[in-house]
This record gives sequence, C-alpha cells and structure tokens, in this order.
Amino acid sequence: MARIDLDQLAHSYDRSGTRPAYAVYPFTHAWEDGETYALLGPSGCGKTTLLNIMSGIVHPSEGRVRFDGVDVTELPTARRNIAQVFQFPVIYRTMSVFENLAFPLRCRQLPQREIEQRVGEVAELLNLSGQLQRSALRLSSDAKQLISLGRGLVRNDVAAILLDEPLTVIDPQLKFELRRKLKEVNRRYRLTLIYVTHDQTEAMTLANKVVVMNQGRIVQIGTPQELFERPEDAFVGYFIGSPAMNMLECRLAEGGVDASGLHIAFPGADKRGIKVGAKLAFGVRPEYVAITDAPAADAIPAVLVDLKSVGAFRIATLGIGAHRVKAKMRADQPIPVDRMFVRFTDGRRLLYADDRLVAVA
Amino acid sequence: MSADRSKFVFVLPGLIVLVAIILFPLLFTIRVSFSDWDVARPGLDWIGATNYLRLVHDTRFWESFGRLALMAVGSVLLQYMLGFGLALLVWREVRARRFFRVLFLIPMMTTPVIMAVIWRTMFHESLGPVNDLVRLLHFAPLPWLSQAGLAMMSIITVEVWQWTPFMFLMLLAGLLSLPREPFLAAAIDGAGPIRTFLRVTFPMMAPISIGAIIIRLIEASKILDSVYVITSGGPGTATETSSYYIFIRGLRDFQVGYAAALSFTYLVIMAISLTIIAKVLARAMLVRDRA
Repeated sequence: MARIDLDQLAHSYDRSGTRPAYAVYPFTHAWEDGETYALLGPSGCGKTTLLNIMSGIVHPSEGRVRFDGVDVTELPTARRNIAQVFQFPVIYRTMSVFENLAFPLRCRQLPQREIEQRVGEVAELLNLSGQLQRSALRLSSDAKQLISLGRGLVRNDVAAILLDEPLTVIDPQLKFELRRKLKEVNRRYRLTLIYVTHDQTEAMTLANKVVVMNQGRIVQIGTPQELFERPEDAFVGYFIGSPAMNMLECRLAEGGVDASGLHIAFPGADKRGIKVGAKLAFGVRPEYVAITDAPAADAIPAVLVDLKSVGAFRIATLGIGAHRVKAKMRADQPIPVDRMFVRFTDGRRLLYADDRLVAVA
Repeated sequence: MSADRSKFVFVLPGLIVLVAIILFPLLFTIRVSFSDWDVARPGLDWIGATNYLRLVHDTRFWESFGRLALMAVGSVLLQYMLGFGLALLVWREVRARRFFRVLFLIPMMTTPVIMAVIWRTMFHESLGPVNDLVRLLHFAPLPWLSQAGLAMMSIITVEVWQWTPFMFLMLLAGLLSLPREPFLAAAIDGAGPIRTFLRVTFPMMAPISIGAIIIRLIEASKILDSVYVITSGGPGTATETSSYYIFIRGLRDFQVGYAAALSFTYLVIMAISLTIIAKVLARAMLVRDRA
C-alpha cells in the first residue's frame, strides 16, 4: 500500500483552445496510506477522469502523480501496481473462477504453490471458495464483481484499489452485502481504497473520508460527519443529506441576516471576510429546523404547507415569510395545530458567500 | 372470422412469396431429379430413383466434394487468419483505418469473372507477371495452371485475395464493438499482448468469428466462376468442384434430370456438413457451460 500524491494535477480533454477546458481543474491532494476514500460527485464532474489518471489510463495534461514519492506520471497502467474495479464486472470469459483470480499472479509468473495459497485466501474472504472450479461466465453479476475485486486483492504489491462505481449493476439487496465485504477487506488488508460513486449513502457508509467533486473541482474533503454538519460549499449542502439543505438568499442585517424581509438571528454575522457584492445565502439542514408552538425571541412564525412520511421520519414543508423550508423530524413528534414557529438549532446556522461557507452560528 | 384466422390472412402474402421464391424451385428440382429430362427428351417423365442410383457410383461427383472441402476450408481459414491479423493491425489506428477500409473494399467491388480473367492472365505460364517475378528471383517458371497442386493453390490464392477484405471488415467491426474495460483490466493485471489476445480478444471475438467463418464457408462452397475462368476444372479434373461438375452435367451435357439429382444431393450434404461445422466451431471457440 502506498500514499498517492497528486501534485498540481489537472486534465483537459480538449487542448486546442488557448484556455484549456478543464475536466479536472488544477489541484494538489494526498491520498493517505491505508485510508478509505469515497470520491463523490454528480455524473460528469470529473471523478472517473481523476481515477483514470491515477491508474494511468489517462495521461494528465498538467501536474504529477507520485506513489510513495516516486513519480509514476509517465508509467503505463501495468507498471503502476494499482488495482481497478470497473462499473461493469470484468471477467476472463474462458476461465474458471480460480483461474480468473490467479490471472494477475500467473502474469507475474509466481510458483503454483503460492498462487494456490493466495487465491485460496482471497476466495475464502470473498466467499467464493465453493465456486472456484466453476466457469466465471455463469456467475451472477455480484459474484463477477467480487472476482474483479479479488484479482486486485491476490496481488500483494498493489499501491491502491480504485473502484469506479462498482455497485451500479448490482441488485439493491446484494449491494449491502458487497459493501459489508468491502469494509471487511479494507479492515483486513489496510488498503488504500478510493471509491468513486455518485450515491451519497454509499460514500457516507463506506468511506472514512469523502472527497466531494463538482464540475471538475474538489469542493470539500472531510469525514461524513463534517460534510453533513459543516458543508464548506453550498453544493455539498445540496448534494449530501436528504432532503437537501435549506438555502435562503439573504443580505446582512443588524444582529443577523435578512432574507427578503424575514429577519433571521445570526450572532456574529458581519462584513469581515465577505467580499463586497458577494451573493449571500443562509443555510440550515432540515434536521436542525425545530417546530414549536411557543413564541420566542428568535422563533419565526410558520405555516405548514406539506407533510410527508418517510419511515421513522417526517418531512414538513413550511412557509416562512416568502420562503419555503423543509424540516425533518421523528415520526412520533407532534406538530402544533394552531400556531407554529420554527427555530434553527444553535451552532447549525450557516452563512455562505458566493457558495463558500463564511460563518457558523 | 376468428382472431386466429385473421392473423393468418395477414401472414398470407409473406407465405406466398416464401413458397414462390424458396419452396417452389426446390420442390421442382426434386421432381426433375426423378425424371429423365435431357437434351433429347425434355419433359417430366418418371424414372424413379435411377438418377440417384447412378450418382452413388459417380466417383467424379464424390471426388469433386473432396476438392471442394479442401478449397473452401483452406481458403476460408487463410482468409480468417489474414483478415484477423489485418484487423488487429489497424484496429487502434483511427486515421489509417479509413484508408485501409477503402483499399480493402476494392477486391470485393470487382466483378468476379473479370477479376478471374485478370488472375488467369497473371498466372499465365509464359506471359504472366507471376512467372516474370519467379524468373527474377532466379527460379524456373512454374506451371501455375497446368499442374494439379499448383492449380489448386492458384485458385485458393484468388479466393483469398478476393474474400479476405470481407473477413477483415467483419472482424474489424467486431473488434470496434468490444468494450474497453476488459483490455484495461488485463493491462492492470499485467498481461502482455499475447496473453491479452488469447484470454481477452479472441474469446470475445469468438461469436463474430464463427459467424464470419460460416458465412464465408457457405459462399465458398458455391465457388464456380473463378474455377470456370481460371482452370475450367483442369488440369483434368484436378480443380473441379461440386458446383462446377453439376454445371457441366446440367448446362453443358444438358442431363437436366441427373444434374437435378446431383444438386439436391449436394444441397442435403452441404446443409448437414455446415450444421456440423457450425456446431464444432461453436464448441471449440465458445465457452462451455460447466455450471
């Protein structure tokens, strides 16, 4: 396993113009050894490009890639010692499960005894032991995807395992099982794992660190907790969490912010650190919107517009002033009938200037 | 009218065309094969299985089958190997691909008879450029068209020349339709070019390979024009194929009844053997179901 450094890396597929149209904008980042990352973002945001640059399938137009300090930018895929699992399972059609798993070792001309031992070990871990002699072509797609993963695991020289939306073609029930297995694999081998996905649940449950990308830029890197509680970028607020974060356009006012006539208390909000003319927005997650029947100094009168039930939770759409906000609450929590106020939890009120987080209160 | 009947009415035009085009000529041939129709006594009399008894002892007919098998299998295998090799060469080169596609289409666009005449001239013993080249390399000129083995080789050469482009195009289309991931995975697993070909490219190309080979085998078994022009089945009967022999009996000797019996026998044998070949190919090239 290795630490992967991306140094001033950028990529543009079209280099004909004077100003390159970047698929991935220049950035510097280090993937720590043994860490589990999720690379999260909407389709077309550049995550697969980034992954392919690391595996050597795509040559970056700018910057360097280093594995444990060694520059591998010019090295072909085969010599980079990475394993990659693709969106669609790749298996060698003519070979048995055993031979499929043994293939990378055969290419490296390892002795038969060692091959058998390592394949046996990986097959055990992936629950494929009973099917080693079967033709790989006849397996279900989740078993095939396990084989793709297994081919990376049998090698003990891999610097990192890159997974490119590997659960897309897997049945929902099996997804959970595969995710559990991935975690187990990661615990056992302490792998550097980079998992590309556009599914926030997948990213949040699997990874210790989530890297959020949007339109070719990394907008935030953090633990799932951090991404949820302190989205550094408005996009993270929208993209992570269900329902998305409430965002109200606003301007600064005495002791708080003013969202088209609606005063929201925001202690500590001032001009410092905010560019003149920047677009301001007040953000709060639906989880931190509390509904009460008691008027208080910072409570805002509200009317109930819609109420949806999602299992153990209810999502209320509330009208405050000219705005709509969503509140997420436990299903058994009563909703006041006559008069209704909302309060935003202290420490969960966020202020964005040009989509970047500038203040928390 | 019930729903079932009305369905039948809609199918009827198609069925009529099918019967007229495929079934009638076939049935007519079968009927003719039981007659003594020839140039002296044209007409559908009934002589029972006489023609079929005669063909059983017709060694010239059975020998022509052997030659046909050699010619068809030999030329198609060469076409396949050459075509696959060329397709692999230009597969990744986008710019060259267009040029080669056009270049390789030329043999397919030429009229077979004209092309055969040109090849006959090229192989001509004293005037042909092929022997000029042989002389240039300080060898004795060869009797390309008048020695049994060489004549067979010449015809196979012409066949390969004309039909390799077809294989090339089919296999190139196949290669271009392959997904990219298996090749990336093989590169990541550390497979070299030979291993990648044997384990990734070839297995994925097996279905289209079988298709292309079968289509070419069916076409190649009907070979007539190039044999007719280049060697006329000669020297002796050394390059005489089944269809050419049937042509001689039917359209040169005008033994229409006997030629019909030969044709029908030929059809049955070809249908059976091509089915067997397709099965064997599929079993050899496709993955067996071991689950």
